[in-house]
Amino acid sequence: MLLFRDEEHVDRWCGARDLTRGAIVTPEQAWRLAHGWYKDKLKPSWRRHTVAEAEALLRSTGLTGAFWNLRGD
Amino acid sequence: MSDDRPGLEALAHEVRLYVFREAAETAHIPQAPHISRALGHTEADVRAALHALAAAKVLILAPNDGDIWAANPFCAVPSGFRVSAHGKRYWGICIWDALGIAAALGADADVTAPCGDCGTRLTLEVRDNRLARHEGVVHFAVPAHDWWNNIGFA
Repeated sequence: MLLFRDEEHVDRWCGARDLTRGAIVTPEQAWRLAHGWYKDKLKPSWRRHTVAEAEALLRSTGLTGAFWNLRGD
Repeated sequence: MSDDRPGLEALAHEVRLYVFREAAETAHIPQAPHISRALGHTEADVRAALHALAAAKVLILAPNDGDIWAANPFCAVPSGFRVSAHGKRYWGICIWDALGIAAALGADADVTAPCGDCGTRLTLEVRDNRLARHEGVVHFAVPAHDWWNNIGFA
């Protein structure tokens, strides 16, 4: 996941690589994802998120739709 | 060790705690020889534990030499995704992980990353577990269900 100055720079980067644009999120959404994903990583009791937990995190961040489908169906 | 699954699981837990504690406290990710000396286990056993942790997607090993590439969110080698916190310099493998370092540490942090297109350095500031200042947008190139299959590019 890369950071870009703005969406125009995203499109230029994709165009230079013949890639279709993926999904753009705000830094605030990225922070909420990162916080939810990693806030417990240093704790001895940490365990990987279940798919359901990861889906809930994505939903709570406002990331829904086919691009954010973790199950690939 | 390889035939002793409960023993491997216990060692993997011990290695995980050590690797992540060291990464957080020193901003350096220890590799197998260092871990072996610190924990008093053979290097072969430590490497078996690291492979178990990689298989469980707890960390990522470099493809060639089996060293730890990333104990996510911490990256073992310098990258463009820099995090300054606790007076130390950390690296992430992407902007998500760079922000994740601030989250894992629970610390105020300055995160800088280059624009993926033009290289201009952009800054995000985390204060009191909130994103206090930011610029730019984040692009996910790979759909969510393919993230781990293409972790280096995602």
